[in-house]
Amino acid sequence: MIDIFQYDFMVNAFLAGIIIAVLASVSGSFIVLRRYAMLTETLAHVALVGVAIGMVTEQNPIWVAVLVSVLSAWLIEYLRSYLGLYSDSILAIFLSGSLALAVVIVSVAGSFNASLFSYLFGSILSVSDEDLIIMLIFGSLSMTVLLGLFKEFYFIAFDEEVAQVSGLKVKLLNFLLVTIIAVIIALSIRVVGTLLIGALMVIPTISALRYRLGFSKTIMLSLLFSISAVLVGMALSYNYSLPSGATIVLVILVIFIFSMLMNRK
Amino acid sequence: MKFDTAVFEVQDLLYTINGTDIIKDISLVVKKGEYSAVIGPNGGGKTTLVRLLLGLEKKTKGSIKLFGQKQKAFKAWDKIGYVPQRVSQIDQFFPATVEEVVKMGRTAKRGLFTRESQEDRNAVESAMTKMDVLNLRQKLVGELSGGQRQRVMIARALASKPEVLILDEPNTGVDMVSQNRFYGLLRELNQKDRMTILFITHDVGVIADDIQSMLCINQTLLACNNPHEVLSCSEMSKLYGIDAHLIHHHHH
Repeated sequence: MIDIFQYDFMVNAFLAGIIIAVLASVSGSFIVLRRYAMLTETLAHVALVGVAIGMVTEQNPIWVAVLVSVLSAWLIEYLRSYLGLYSDSILAIFLSGSLALAVVIVSVAGSFNASLFSYLFGSILSVSDEDLIIMLIFGSLSMTVLLGLFKEFYFIAFDEEVAQVSGLKVKLLNFLLVTIIAVIIALSIRVVGTLLIGALMVIPTISALRYRLGFSKTIMLSLLFSISAVLVGMALSYNYSLPSGATIVLVILVIFIFSMLMNRK
Repeated sequence: MKFDTAVFEVQDLLYTINGTDIIKDISLVVKKGEYSAVIGPNGGGKTTLVRLLLGLEKKTKGSIKLFGQKQKAFKAWDKIGYVPQRVSQIDQFFPATVEEVVKMGRTAKRGLFTRESQEDRNAVESAMTKMDVLNLRQKLVGELSGGQRQRVMIARALASKPEVLILDEPNTGVDMVSQNRFYGLLRELNQKDRMTILFITHDVGVIADDIQSMLCINQTLLACNNPHEVLSCSEMSKLYGIDAHLIHHHHH
């Protein structure tokens, strides 16, 4: 395991993996409790539009992805809360619509190649220094907001109306939470990719919930699962030349199955 | 009617959905320190009235004042503790210990980006003590009995040190012994701590000795329990199948 750090790209990969493991599991706990899992999937596909635009305009795809997924998250929330459309249908529209848009943008630009493919399934070994800096900046911003508003988000997840009556600005806080989730998803697509990020955000928390603990302990456990899955997944993928994103997700799945079996009723 | 003694003041309240009046012509005052029961038939608008008071629904017309202030300008929400109807429906897998739930009651008061102060800890502790859930603090709320959950939810409401407690039938599906204990706790809060209580209930007979007023809501306010209207109110209750016998018993 030590010798894998002899390469710079492995150091970058390792750091990126840890950052995403922390962000995904902490935000994931709110995603699971608020039943936002489908929103995650949708935003991951929306982020792909950002990647496509970034590739075509020769900007760093990650920050364009952050921008596009945040704007879309706001639009989705607006459509859901103000127009009262069926919320799962809105998500479906955004999910397939953005995938279609991404594919068209890339193919018009004539660059539908392996590069886009790497954003579908992640390619942690290609995390550049610039990527890492973007992840650090946006990652620490999101983490600050998540930790600073932890108790507010938690109260709202437990009982939105009582939280509102107690004086919390629930609408604003919901917008903020969705914004952070959008940022984190966009940051993660380098590591696990659009098609796999949902797993990284949801499964550690779902596994931790099986142990029936309080919230702070559940978060700690989910963090532990997430970080170990990323580390073990990366080591396995390095040693056996397996695709990194998919390997990480499979490791989390193993943790989930183990947690299920451990906590049968 | 002085502003400083009125906790809730409602005038000519109208609430319409798609052209149907759900609530109309309701004017009422809930005074400080008063224990009021809100009764009426199912679908008669009791819960809606409370939701309008709390700003969870937007009124169509009329005026609502909280502590003498227009609802829109009202900011002191920590003065109001709210215990909703869905106490028995907590997701049993929700990761929340009793202590974590009671702490939620301090969230708004603490403000954003703050750490828990000694005052917060004391308030949580005393709310749990008062509701006798201190020994359950590490338990998950999903594992509690109905009666225990009910007390936890009230403890959460009390944690912000409110002046009013609004309860929307939080006792559905709770056994008799727990119910009686619950009514005892409410009485104590009202009599010892001078807490204003607004209690939506089906069980008005049991608390008849404790309450000072009764609001019968069926789309509009049918009768208020000021002494002259007692009879009409109990008749109303009978009409809607509430145990009028017990109400009567209280007034002998």
